[in-house]
Amino acid sequence: MGFEIDAEAVRTLAGLLEETGLGEIEYEVDDRRIRVAKPAAAAAVQAVAPAPAAAAPAAAPAADAGPVAGGVSSPMVGTVYLQSGPGEPPFVKVGDRVSAGDVIFIIEAMKVMNQIPAPHGGVVKSVEVENGQAVEFGEVLMVIE
Amino acid sequence: MFQKVLIANRGDVALRVIRACRELGIRTVAIHSTADAEAMHVRLADESVCVGPPAAKDSYLNVAAIITAADVTGADAIHPGLGFLAENARFAQIVEEHGHTFIGPTPRQIEMLGDKIEAKQAALAANLPVVPGGTKPIANAAEARATAKEAGYPVLLKAAAGGGGRGMQRVEHADALARAFEVASSEAEAAFGDGSVYVEKAIDRPRHIEVQVLGDGEGGAVHLGERDCTVQRRFQKLIEEAPSPVLTPAERERVGALAAGLAASIDYRGAGTVEFLYAGGQFYFIEMNARLQVEHPVTELVSGVDIVEAQLRIAAGAGLGMTQDDIKTRGHAIEVRVNAEDPNTFVPSPGTVTLFHPPGGPGVRVDSHIFQGARVPPFYDSLIAKLIVHGADRDAAIARLGRALDEFVVEGVSTNLGLQRRIIRADDFISNRIDVVWLERWLNA
Repeated sequence: MGFEIDAEAVRTLAGLLEETGLGEIEYEVDDRRIRVAKPAAAAAVQAVAPAPAAAAPAAAPAADAGPVAGGVSSPMVGTVYLQSGPGEPPFVKVGDRVSAGDVIFIIEAMKVMNQIPAPHGGVVKSVEVENGQAVEFGEVLMVIE
Repeated sequence: MFQKVLIANRGDVALRVIRACRELGIRTVAIHSTADAEAMHVRLADESVCVGPPAAKDSYLNVAAIITAADVTGADAIHPGLGFLAENARFAQIVEEHGHTFIGPTPRQIEMLGDKIEAKQAALAANLPVVPGGTKPIANAAEARATAKEAGYPVLLKAAAGGGGRGMQRVEHADALARAFEVASSEAEAAFGDGSVYVEKAIDRPRHIEVQVLGDGEGGAVHLGERDCTVQRRFQKLIEEAPSPVLTPAERERVGALAAGLAASIDYRGAGTVEFLYAGGQFYFIEMNARLQVEHPVTELVSGVDIVEAQLRIAAGAGLGMTQDDIKTRGHAIEVRVNAEDPNTFVPSPGTVTLFHPPGGPGVRVDSHIFQGARVPPFYDSLIAKLIVHGADRDAAIARLGRALDEFVVEGVSTNLGLQRRIIRADDFISNRIDVVWLERWLNA
């Protein structure tokens, strides 16, 4: 927390991205880091707070809960983001209709932002994680029915 | 000291590291595959992260997932355990590049000691006796013939990049060398993508003697005495003991000094093991393992040194905390490896353990991640427990081991407990008429 977005800096970086044709730019001052990336589909502006020291869940939900009907489980360990950047609308919310392949999350692993596509289409029944939360492999992130 | 350590491993060794951390007040993070969600290392750690599906390459060898698990949990150091990524120089390097401490040697030391020829050159430079033969890769049969003649027949041809006996050929006479060279080289090429081979004298019926060392990374090193791991089946150790029952005090002192000398000469950091063959009163350096070893508890029981604690302390920059003069060994310790495997075919026997009753009482230590109801997954190695006993001398230790093995009950999976009971009561074992291929002869007799 306590990381206020410097909108001007983001705009400047985004401008540089356009100007230079680069895929992404990362800018770091002290422990604050701003990464502006331009993925193939939608341009994602991602601000990353200092590494969260959040404890990972103690149990393994995937194994305990068993397969959830329509559940979308995390394909990797990482930090999940529900929106392309602070202040941006979430990729999807409960009640939205999504098609297979739509980007529904970003998971950051080893400083790389991975876009996670919906494995199947349907209506978003629930979102099981919070923005910025650490997730395990196999953890259920969302239910799409 | 570290605040939080991630253990990039499973099974009894993950538990061993968690225990050392607990005693030092360090928080722990376990990683696990989906097959190990109920495993003991997950239950005993303060936090756990599922890093992937059952296959080791997707979980316990999944570098990106493990680094990310360390990042999201805020672990300041990673202990690799043994096996999996413990001797992967690239992993050690990535760990450090991502701002975590790797609890082990430097990436460069791992790389050097993992290369048979480079390791042998380092040993020669530190004045260790090595197996006679080439210290450089050999590319053609003529060169192989010259080296073999110099080393003396019989010779072994070994893949420079290899291990586990793959690409290895034994040659009795010069006549058979050229053909054996072609076979060894093409096998090495197929298995490791590197057809270079080296030629060395075959040491017949040796014992396996290894020395535990600790290095501070700055040229300081001590040894904690030797272990004798002569009871092996196809290069897999089954029983390890300390001290070796065959060395004289002078030989013991000499081999210890040689091993510590090698560690010091390369500024070795952390715990390592220098392995030798011993035959006809001679030691021959074979390799140095840049990690904790399965059989480290026998050394802990005779030396009183907690080797995992030492690893943590050294990695945290606190130095060795001991000098050679501080180290005194006492009594005799023996470890047997209890594997979930068919006692006749040695094929792994995965399944659910329906009854687990480990032995106890004086001088008995059991390192195991198994409990009643635990599953032994088919994806990983079959070691389910290590039984280690300590006694005043070897006879007392063998007697204690016999009664402890008799108390040990495991049901639900097949184990080698029955075989271990027979081995330690065999006349050859008791009277020390064994060598590294004794077990195979005895099993076939």
